[in-house]
Amino acid sequence: MITVIAIDALEYNLVEEFNMRNLKQEYYGKTDISEFSEPRTMVLWSSFMTGENKEEEILAKGDKEMWNTRIPHEETFFSHFENPFILDLPGYNYDLEQHERERRLLKEFFMEKDEEKKREIRKKYNENAFAHHRKIKERFLEALEGEYDFILGYFSVADVIGHLNFGNRMMMKMIYRDLDEIVSQVEGKKIVLSDHGMKAVGVFGDHSEYGFWSTNFKELGRPKITDFKSIILSETK
Amino acid sequence: MSEEKKGKAKKKKSKHTTISIPTPLYKKIKKRIEGTGFTSVSDYVTYVLREVLASLEEEEKEEVFSEEEEEKVKERLRALGYLD
Ligand SMILES: [Zn+2]
Repeated sequence: MITVIAIDALEYNLVEEFNMRNLKQEYYGKTDISEFSEPRTMVLWSSFMTGENKEEEILAKGDKEMWNTRIPHEETFFSHFENPFILDLPGYNYDLEQHERERRLLKEFFMEKDEEKKREIRKKYNENAFAHHRKIKERFLEALEGEYDFILGYFSVADVIGHLNFGNRMMMKMIYRDLDEIVSQVEGKKIVLSDHGMKAVGVFGDHSEYGFWSTNFKELGRPKITDFKSIILSETK
Repeated sequence: MSEEKKGKAKKKKSKHTTISIPTPLYKKIKKRIEGTGFTSVSDYVTYVLREVLASLEEEEKEEVFSEEEEEKVKERLRALGYLD
């Protein structure tokens, strides 16, 4: 049994700076995503679950349709399990409405010129992201008690909040602490994996050009995101 | 809270409320405040929380949305597919 804690935009340098021991586990490092032209969330998770570089295929859909990607179960390595539990993963089964609302508020924020109104929109944006996070966290912790042979929980909070608040160290630390706490509650073999990290642009956050990985069972060096399919399948045989 | 304080709290309107923290953390704090000016774990926890809230508020106040950075990040978010 293996559990994957998939964390969007978990940044290697922040995990180090905050010294989050549970996120780091025994072995940790950066992933190599240099084969992709940009660190795009949908492209990276789709490539993760299929073990193939899906960039061309996803980009062909265009920026709007890309977010509605639903890769069929049979094309993912999840189909090698009898009873997998996959929670809110982009490109597979994530809550389209929730994540669309996030992008809409993000757009609203950048369209607005008035400083006060901007702060109000960001407040709404943050509240929406945290509310979703609380829901996901609860469902994930519940799933840990279930009879599954593979569990993957996807957490978007560090990415969503990070885009408009990455310069706020206290807020980011609070989120990392929460994620660290979630990982500590998982028993058995576990992998923490991010699609890409994040770097500051003033108060804002942009994606960084590498992801983060950690395990409590194996040194992985500098793996590609497409390597995790075989890493996970070989560990569960 | 002592019995005496509880009695007072009943008469007046209580200015304190109870929150729970993990027992190991309580013990750790109890040990830490030995030989300091803090007379109770509650006093110490109140101090720490005020400090944290003050830094959060400070960080929020100091924050400015610079137009240049905003343009830069907007362009990046467009490239990543978040904005059209
Ligand atoms: Zn992002």
